[in-house]
Amino acid sequence: MKDTIITAGAKRRELWILLACFVVANMVNWYAIIRFAAPWYEIFTQIGYVVVTTLVFYLLILILRLAQKLIVYLKQK
Amino acid sequence: MNRKEFLADCGKKGLAGVALSLFPWLESCSEKAQQEVKGEKARIGMIGTGSRGLYHIKNLLRMPNVEMVALCDDYRPHLENAAQYYPNAKLYDDYRKLLEDKSVDGVIVTTPLYLHGRITMDALRAGKRVFCEKSMAFTLDEALDVYNCRKEMNGVLLIGQQRLFDPKYARAMQMIHEGKIGKVVGVRNYWYRNNDWRREVPSPELERRINWRLYSEYSRGLMTELACHHLQNGSWAMGMLPEKVMGSGSLLHWNKDGRDVYDAVSAIFTYPNGVNMTFESIISNKHFGMGEQILGTEGTIDLVTCMRYTDEPAPKGSGMHQLVAQIENGVMSNSVFAGTSWAAETSSLAPGIPIMDNVTISTGESTVGAEADGSIEIMEAFVHAVITGKQPEKVLEESYYATQFALLADKAMHENAILTLDEKYRVPYEPMK
Repeated sequence: MKDTIITAGAKRRELWILLACFVVANMVNWYAIIRFAAPWYEIFTQIGYVVVTTLVFYLLILILRLAQKLIVYLKQK
Repeated sequence: MNRKEFLADCGKKGLAGVALSLFPWLESCSEKAQQEVKGEKARIGMIGTGSRGLYHIKNLLRMPNVEMVALCDDYRPHLENAAQYYPNAKLYDDYRKLLEDKSVDGVIVTTPLYLHGRITMDALRAGKRVFCEKSMAFTLDEALDVYNCRKEMNGVLLIGQQRLFDPKYARAMQMIHEGKIGKVVGVRNYWYRNNDWRREVPSPELERRINWRLYSEYSRGLMTELACHHLQNGSWAMGMLPEKVMGSGSLLHWNKDGRDVYDAVSAIFTYPNGVNMTFESIISNKHFGMGEQILGTEGTIDLVTCMRYTDEPAPKGSGMHQLVAQIENGVMSNSVFAGTSWAAETSSLAPGIPIMDNVTISTGESTVGAEADGSIEIMEAFVHAVITGKQPEKVLEESYYATQFALLADKAMHENAILTLDEKYRVPYEPMK
């Protein structure tokens, strides 16, 4: 099995994407709090759902990125 | 709170004071009232010893201060049957002779409906204290005559609306009047059975005498025999009387045996505040049994099952939960492939809260009488009234109007009209709340 090298730039990019997903997930939580007149302490108590939502967003973006790469690869061939 | 505790409360102060001010007629069932007549005897005569008469006899046998001195029936087998329980009672085949009997203080009238009014008035005029089975009379005019006769003679008259004396109903009404189910917005009553409502007839010439309930010459059918109880509950819960009534009746299924009273009826009674009370009875399907439901903005009370159901919304989830649920709901509700695009709103499965513990629930199937439905308490109240000569408060007016509205609904069905109770039939009415 070959060693895989993940560059510092790639790591940084993934971390930025994950952070963006986390921010968006938090914004969704804030929207839900305002929309359903829920208490503001749900910013903290619902953190578990925010993390799960972050991962869902990240996975969706990953799928989109992989699909894009596949299309580019197929076009180059 | 169970039945004994509730009745015991009626004799105490505090909560009992509230209960008695709401239901003063229950005073005669209280410990104090029973002590008042301890050692004394109510000398009673019974006119009509058929199935309902026997039912009362079996309850009276449990009461030590009752002496059954006379029995009367013009149908000998019924009279002899009743006499087995009271071998020392004098037997009559003419009620007028029983009324002349000076040893009789109180009279129980359990005859066919068309005789209620006449016998009750004759008994009151003879100075007897009277318990008459519901309904009070056969016609609107006759009911008024009975009411006025009682007033004129200043006598004692109780009508067999036993739910008024049933502690579980009293407790439920107390909760309704305290606003436990919010504002009352509907009253729903039904009584379904699946039987022909016939009694066995030993020979054909006795058909109309024994099955009098089936013939309009003697009976007003389901309205006076069944609905009368429910209509009285409606007024008790609403604290007012209906303004108008409409209805429809038909001889739907049991229509080949010569009867001429409806075997399926539906009636709507509208109260002055717009609330509707419905009554429906069909005797060819018994799936839903009997129901007496008071519907409020914050809950429902089922008087028959003695349960209270709240309409409090389910606790909401967090904002995120609600958002996810809304998205999910939006996605699901749009996935229509075929058929209707709506989901039926089925009845709530929320578990109810019992109004009282250890109560006996009546299915409504018995055509003679139910267990623990207030029949013993109403008899205790009558026995108390026979001994003391005191007319229990409010109950006569309640029974009077239950009869009038049952009769009015029957009239509305026959005339295919929306009817109001004529002013001449109005008697002073103090709501029980």
